[in-house]
Amino acid sequence: MSAGDVLSLLMFAAFILLIFSGFPVAWVLGGLAVVFTAIGIIARVDFDLPVFVSWDYSTLVVDRSWDIMNNWVLVALPMFIFMGLMLDRSGIAQRLMHDFVRLFGGVRGGLAVTIALIGILLAASTGIIGASVVLLALLGLPQMLDHGYKPELATGTICAVGTLGILVPPSIMLVLMADRLAMPVGDLFLGALFPGLVLGGLFVGYILVYAYLNPDAAPVPDDYEPVDVALVVSVLIAVMAPAGLIVAVLGSIFFGIATPTEAAGVGAFGALLLALFNRQLDLAVLREVCIETTRTTAYIFAIFLGATAYSLVLRGLGGDELIKGLLIGLPFEPVGIVIAILFFTFLLGFFLDWIEITLIILPLVSPVVAELGFDLIWFTVLFAVCLQTSFLTPPVGFAIFYLKGVTPGDIPVGTIYRGVIPFILLQLLGLALIFVFEDLVLWLPDKAY
Amino acid sequence: MRTCRGTSNPVLELPHNRFSRWVDRLVIHIGEYVSWVWLLLLGIIVLNVLMRYLLSEGRIEFEEIQWHLYSLGFLLGLSYSYTRDAHVRVDVIRERLSPQTQAWIELYGTLFLLLPFIMLVVVASVPFIAYSFATSEVSQAPGGLPFRWLIKSVLLIGFLVLLLSVISRLSRVLYFLFARGSS
Repeated sequence: MSAGDVLSLLMFAAFILLIFSGFPVAWVLGGLAVVFTAIGIIARVDFDLPVFVSWDYSTLVVDRSWDIMNNWVLVALPMFIFMGLMLDRSGIAQRLMHDFVRLFGGVRGGLAVTIALIGILLAASTGIIGASVVLLALLGLPQMLDHGYKPELATGTICAVGTLGILVPPSIMLVLMADRLAMPVGDLFLGALFPGLVLGGLFVGYILVYAYLNPDAAPVPDDYEPVDVALVVSVLIAVMAPAGLIVAVLGSIFFGIATPTEAAGVGAFGALLLALFNRQLDLAVLREVCIETTRTTAYIFAIFLGATAYSLVLRGLGGDELIKGLLIGLPFEPVGIVIAILFFTFLLGFFLDWIEITLIILPLVSPVVAELGFDLIWFTVLFAVCLQTSFLTPPVGFAIFYLKGVTPGDIPVGTIYRGVIPFILLQLLGLALIFVFEDLVLWLPDKAY
Repeated sequence: MRTCRGTSNPVLELPHNRFSRWVDRLVIHIGEYVSWVWLLLLGIIVLNVLMRYLLSEGRIEFEEIQWHLYSLGFLLGLSYSYTRDAHVRVDVIRERLSPQTQAWIELYGTLFLLLPFIMLVVVASVPFIAYSFATSEVSQAPGGLPFRWLIKSVLLIGFLVLLLSVISRLSRVLYFLFARGSS
């Protein structure tokens, strides 16, 4: 093992250790880049070791930052964030809740199905787990508990559906992944669409079957109204607005009418109009959405800049060659190596957010996967599902954490843990399906443009 | 595990001094004004799409303005998010530590990680901008925007404002750790 390899491993270990200090992740990454440049120079100059980093090399971080600035595709990111935040404020979710509840009132588990469907519709818009989970919890949890739903079912549904947001396109995570792997954003969006819907479908199916088998867990409310034509029309109108927006955004990318950036800008404009029509838009809301967009965009890009510096120095130390060697050297078949990478990602997802994993780990492992002859779009979607699953997994899943933050104190965390377990199994089932049936991912991008 | 907004965050509850109050107010103002770029950006994208389809002429300038605005937004947003303490932290262990310990972590992290990183970007970006200025660099694209050094300077400005807000936080941490006992 060369001096560079040792330093690479130390740099990796330092990152994992230091983020637990609670100091912001972005600055830990950027700071370690400087610290390990200094260590590398000392190792070369004072100890005559073959390490090839220098200050000149590390100042390349400015060129790399310029590549981030000078990047038209990434403009889509703040626009999708704006769109999601605006849709949250547009009153759409409340209206959907109101109508769906009446539509599914007579079905066992109808409330949970309602939450799942709203979650899937909104999943397509936000892509920020915290926001999705909080919105769904505030909207649906009190109602489900009031109607005698088993807390496990209620909380599990919210957590599971809330995490779908990072997978179902248009998702900001997919934009970032596509940028790092230099693949078209549109391909990745289209590739993730069916897997997202399959997972959503599994969730709804599970809720229906579970509620049918356990009538006490999800009782039918006594006061439900029969479904009539007026209600169906009202539901259709309520669904049409957000669904139309999503279809317009994805459709224009699918048919090559608009670039993802244009689609994001127009989608954000559409969300603005929806809020206006629902009489939710005034200057104060607009200002808050703009400021919140700055805040979210800035923390993502702070990590982006820090991770850029970190990856630059890690590469200078030979870290990417080291990882490659380690992965190729695993005593498995190629498929086994992919599974090992996914498992490792799943573990990292316990304590790292998708931003760091996407920016640092994904570019390290994807060349290996490509070299083994696998399709990168397929792999990236699997990678995304893996991350999403790890946000759901006790004891430290983000979704659980966010839900705990907004639930009334009388739901013990153990209940939430028990609630998410069936959904984790469904996630794993979904993951296996995508793994075995590549066409779930690859068919749609193939047909596009 | 991640910072939950609003709930008692010791970093935001550090005692203020006159300097830090002034700086933080300035940074928040800058961030709030800059936030309107997202609306402007949205408008320009929609306009560009309309022009492309109605008049069938897309404009390179418009595409370039888009990433200029986006760079302005996220780079000046860095300091805003910092002052609001919105940058992502892993809180599993941190939330069990005393405010004192957290302040020490903040101090060491700032001195040995954050400030060196800012210095690297600041020092490295000066020749980068100077070169662009000296060569009167313009966009390579036909019809692209002039004054490339101006947008490149935004990287430096963003990090200098960040530096200012970091010094403000540092003054509060130092006051909290060392001056409080004597008063």
